[in-house]
Amino acid sequence: MWGDAWRRLSKNRLAMVCLGLVAFFTLLAVYGEIVCRYHEARDITPFYQKTNLEMAFQPPGGVHWMGTDALGRDVMARLIQGVTIAYKVGIITSLIAIPIGVFFGCIAGYFGGKVDDFVVWLYSTFASMPGLLFILAIAMVVGRGLLGIYLGIGLTTWVGICRLIRGEVIKHKGQTYVQAAQALGLGDGRIIFKHILPNVMHVIIVTFTLRFPAAVGTEVFLSFIGIGVQDQPSWGLMINSARMRLWQGMWWEMTFVTLAVFLLVLAFNLLGDALRDALDPRLND
Amino acid sequence: MLKYILKRVVQMVPTVIGVVLLTFILFNVVGGDLAAIALGKKVSLQSLETFDEERGLNKPLFFGTRSTTRAYEDQDLSENAGRWSGWSNAVYSSETASVAIKPNATIDPLAFSLDPQDEFEWKIAYRGSGTLAGRELASEGWKTETVRFRGAEAGGFVAGPDGIEIKKLKLRKVVKNPFDSQLWFYVKQLARGDMGYSEGLKQPVSKLLKDGVLPSLSLTIPIFFIGVVVSVSLSLICAFFRDTFIDRFLVMVSVALMSINYLVYIVAGQYFLAYRQGLFPVWGYESARYLILPVIIGVVSGLGANIRFYRTVMLDEMYKDYVRTAFAKGVAKPRVLFVHVLKNAMIPIITNVVMLIPFLYTGSLLLESFFGIPGLGYLSINALLSSDVDVIRAIVLIGAILFVICNLLTDICYALVDPRVKLK
Repeated sequence: MWGDAWRRLSKNRLAMVCLGLVAFFTLLAVYGEIVCRYHEARDITPFYQKTNLEMAFQPPGGVHWMGTDALGRDVMARLIQGVTIAYKVGIITSLIAIPIGVFFGCIAGYFGGKVDDFVVWLYSTFASMPGLLFILAIAMVVGRGLLGIYLGIGLTTWVGICRLIRGEVIKHKGQTYVQAAQALGLGDGRIIFKHILPNVMHVIIVTFTLRFPAAVGTEVFLSFIGIGVQDQPSWGLMINSARMRLWQGMWWEMTFVTLAVFLLVLAFNLLGDALRDALDPRLND
Repeated sequence: MLKYILKRVVQMVPTVIGVVLLTFILFNVVGGDLAAIALGKKVSLQSLETFDEERGLNKPLFFGTRSTTRAYEDQDLSENAGRWSGWSNAVYSSETASVAIKPNATIDPLAFSLDPQDEFEWKIAYRGSGTLAGRELASEGWKTETVRFRGAEAGGFVAGPDGIEIKKLKLRKVVKNPFDSQLWFYVKQLARGDMGYSEGLKQPVSKLLKDGVLPSLSLTIPIFFIGVVVSVSLSLICAFFRDTFIDRFLVMVSVALMSINYLVYIVAGQYFLAYRQGLFPVWGYESARYLILPVIIGVVSGLGANIRFYRTVMLDEMYKDYVRTAFAKGVAKPRVLFVHVLKNAMIPIITNVVMLIPFLYTGSLLLESFFGIPGLGYLSINALLSSDVDVIRAIVLIGAILFVICNLLTDICYALVDPRVKLK
């Protein structure tokens, strides 16, 4: 199954370009994290936080490829740190949302009956909450900072995957391999997580790729309005500070940050679509 | 039909209960000290207590016979002296994790006078002698005792001739009715239709909501209708020219539109169209002209996702047998598409459209605050930034309940259009 999917995916040139772009962003994120940790461990101000008022508002040029911001900090260095934050948000919120969604989806689909009723009630309650406002309310209650973002996005976005997995598990439950496993007397947990789960893995992978850009977009939004990241160079904060400067003609910070957000989100969206086509052959009839 | 509607209404009840519970858990249980979030840390304990009292936050969460009061907050003496460092006639020792009150000294540890109607309880672990709230305490070794007193009595210490040492001290309010909890208070408040009181704006939340609805709707309703018409038409074009350059181009454009951050639409639209070109006013809410730009931005930002969704719906229909039949008997392509397919695709389209209605109410968070439209989105953003808990809770709750109601309406419409639904 995975080999076939890879062959289908590699024939799609656009998807391969996106995969390359995602790999590039991943490298930047890892580099950014290493730089951040290095400066933290040695307890020095990292270069992307150093202010130099004489160098403020330099347009893009030889030393500063993407110019400098209001405090004379290099835009490119901050942009790369922004990739790190975006990745952290994308990955950690997935680590919260996907296990919750998969667990509830599996038990609801497999056991049915009362368990199913409970899970359906739980996710319809969560689905009824007004999305962004609910995330904002959680972030407000937990407190400003990354933790609030992780919990806000993570605890609200498990509903979609829970529904998908529940539907898939219901389909698989009636199949012969599951009946065979039950006839052999295997435990329910083993059947769900060792036998059924690998067969619905593609749903999880596609969901991850498609919810990643959504989480990044939400983080940018939260940091922009001041509820999210506080003192690290997040894209949302950069857009917020660049917004006013734009009106005075300092176009570079705004342009490069929005371009970075656009490329990252676009690459993940297109890759997710291509993955879905490659992994779920029923869709391309 | 009536039976089906009744059944669906009954099924709605658990979700409404779930929504109320979820907002309760988020704000009252997870939220912890709401008074400190709303008022900040630099206010007196008395005003925090008043805030709690007004919102029933000084009651037990679900059930209980005792509740805490801010008059004396629990202090773990094994960690530090806390408030006890403020009195000169009490000496804190970290070795024995206790406080010694000097002989014959008087100390009143209550931060403010208690409600004279209520009954309170001190739990104390002590040694030495003295009185607490008028009761005699005397013991050679460590002893734990409970002292009940009324709020009208003096609650403080008078140390005996040898002084008194305290290891543990807790103050609890005695709750008369154990079911009189925060949850019950919240449910009662909602049943009255009382949405709370905004601490930041000094107005009842229901009035703020009433004032904000119209500006919000004047922005979201045009966005809603124009958005649906434009994206359904474009998705029909996609379906008509399926697998040609036009279709692929529109799909690419919609993915690109989806990937542009919402913020960018607003910042760029405001900068280029309003500020540089001067086509529209930049900020304000005075006439219909002020709404044109936000409406355009709202429509464009939603276009990508909508085209993709409606296109999938149309293409799903295109593979059905009745379409093949229509083509086989020689019906022209435009007629198949606009009459046969569109009619059948209406069901998922209507579902999607009705589910957008709750969001009309909550307004557009960013558009409103960027363009100065005094609607509910603007209200929510300001409430978030000033931690106005009651406002946020009310908007979240109403949004959720509207969602549940719209869900019910879609199901009823569904059953009206498609009789098979009732059988399931």
